Amino acid sequence: MKRSVPFEIFRYAAILAAMAVTLVPILWMVSMAFKPIGEWSATGADLTWWPKQPTLANFQFVFGHSTNDLIVALDHTAVKPILSSLLSAVFGTVIAMSAGTAAAYGLSRFGSGQNLPLALIQLRLFPPMAVMIPVMIMWAFLNLNDTWWGLALIYGIVTLPFAFWLMKTFFDDMPREIEEAALVEGCSRLRVFTRITLPMMRAPLASAALFVFILNWSDYLIALLLTTREWVTIPVYMASLSSSMTGQLYGAKAALGLIAAVPPVIMGIAIQRHLVRGLTFGALKQ
Amino acid sequence: MSAVTATIAEDKMGAVHAKPAQRDEGARLGFRLTLPAQILVLFISAFPLLMQLYISVTDWSPLSGVGWWNAWEMWNSFANYTDLAADTRFWSALQRTAIVMLVCVPAEFLLGLALATLFADDFPGKRIFYSILLMPMMVVPAVAGYMFFMLFQSGGPVNDILSRIVGAPVTIAWLSDPTLALIAVMIADIWQWTPLMFLILLAGMVGVPEDQMKAATLLGANAWQRFTTIVLPKMKTIIIIALAIRVIENFKIFDTLYIMTGGGPGVATETISVYIYKVTTQDLIWGYVAAIALAILIVLSIVAVYAMKRMAKSREVPA
Repeated sequence: MKRSVPFEIFRYAAILAAMAVTLVPILWMVSMAFKPIGEWSATGADLTWWPKQPTLANFQFVFGHSTNDLIVALDHTAVKPILSSLLSAVFGTVIAMSAGTAAAYGLSRFGSGQNLPLALIQLRLFPPMAVMIPVMIMWAFLNLNDTWWGLALIYGIVTLPFAFWLMKTFFDDMPREIEEAALVEGCSRLRVFTRITLPMMRAPLASAALFVFILNWSDYLIALLLTTREWVTIPVYMASLSSSMTGQLYGAKAALGLIAAVPPVIMGIAIQRHLVRGLTFGALKQ
Repeated sequence: MSAVTATIAEDKMGAVHAKPAQRDEGARLGFRLTLPAQILVLFISAFPLLMQLYISVTDWSPLSGVGWWNAWEMWNSFANYTDLAADTRFWSALQRTAIVMLVCVPAEFLLGLALATLFADDFPGKRIFYSILLMPMMVVPAVAGYMFFMLFQSGGPVNDILSRIVGAPVTIAWLSDPTLALIAVMIADIWQWTPLMFLILLAGMVGVPEDQMKAATLLGANAWQRFTTIVLPKMKTIIIIALAIRVIENFKIFDTLYIMTGGGPGVATETISVYIYKVTTQDLIWGYVAAIALAILIVLSIVAVYAMKRMAKSREVPA
């Protein structure tokens, strides 16, 4: 449909305004991550929107290379929190995707587990805060508190609804002819699933896994409750960084924030096509 | 049970060639494939719920020196539930959660709908604008909270922009004023989740048939009339889904808010999740927390069952 010139002008103006609002908070953090300590909390006329003397000192600081500007030394560096975030999110994704994909196939092809779709939506409905008391007690009992594998297990369960629903809609959409042909050829159903269906679904599986990984990586509340010191994740570590000497460690926190924010943004853009499907539990496809 | 699954399996996988032996094999395999997910669901629902119910009628706390299984020694005959009814901090947290929801969700919806309308047809630069506008929803919520914590410092960029507009130094202490702090956390939520509304609503808008729009134009309908009489009715289901997702997620609001204000100043931004978190980690009265949590779970379950029945009914009569 042809639009008028005033409409086009209005459209670009509105979009540019939205872009500014979208980008200012992100760019402020990026800028802060490269600011030397003197510019961290400069105010009024001294406030700098872009670092006057860009520095990598904030990144060096969180990785334990103490710099002269920052008098404080960290009692533990960002290395382990990054490792913790990675391990818990990756293995949480593995748990959610294996259980979710298998169950989705079982329901989509054989009608097994009719209770799962609703049970899993309910799981998503409840605020994590309202089920954490028993989880904290169980995790303490199983010695899973403050470990990355304990986090991975709860992440796997929390994101199972997304893995299941995404894979279910992908399996429902997939044409059955090839599977049926293989069945007639005498292939067992399990072989059809592992040798024919799964390899065909490689791309959807990858998208679903990335989607689930983003969700796991983004958690803060669960890690805050289940880890205390050894295996805190990046967001928990970031929030705990502050010092009596310098107050808020703005630059160091911004550097950590940047490290935490980059992977999901890149992955999110990569799986843009499937975001709607994932977020609406497959109710809507793009 | 096995007979039921077998008949379903039959019509799922083409009954033409499926021999009885194959059907049994399918039902068995289906059962085995769904088993891990069933175990995980049971592991996180049945046992924890019973435990929650049990602890919620006691004064048990992790500091009380007895294992949770011996919590019956501290039985307090439903005092937690009567306390809850009289707990003003709980009710005001609930009220605050409702206010945040009633401001944020409609704001996100209207802004998302406006953006989606602008993106409904093709124009140069659409893809790159689209990708950038989606970025906030992919930022880790805790990090987004920290971004806005920095933005709203009294010497921070928000006040800097305001100073330039007003022409005089502005030093509003956003996060230490009860009202402004609540506004600040709502702005952060709107910033982060408007893209989600935009994404879903745009996907729904693309599905509106072009020829109907053309016909309406020929009949003399203006853009607003086309929007209200064709686009919105077609998008009804999608709008309900988008709103439902945001209402559910907004009710849980914690990460951004807790990083920005910690629920403060005082209790000015304490929502229900923050309140439960504080009672859990600071007051450590887990018996009481279990009672609060269970009450919320029961209310939410009733709402969910009611909503799903309504949705199932509306699906029978296509809109």
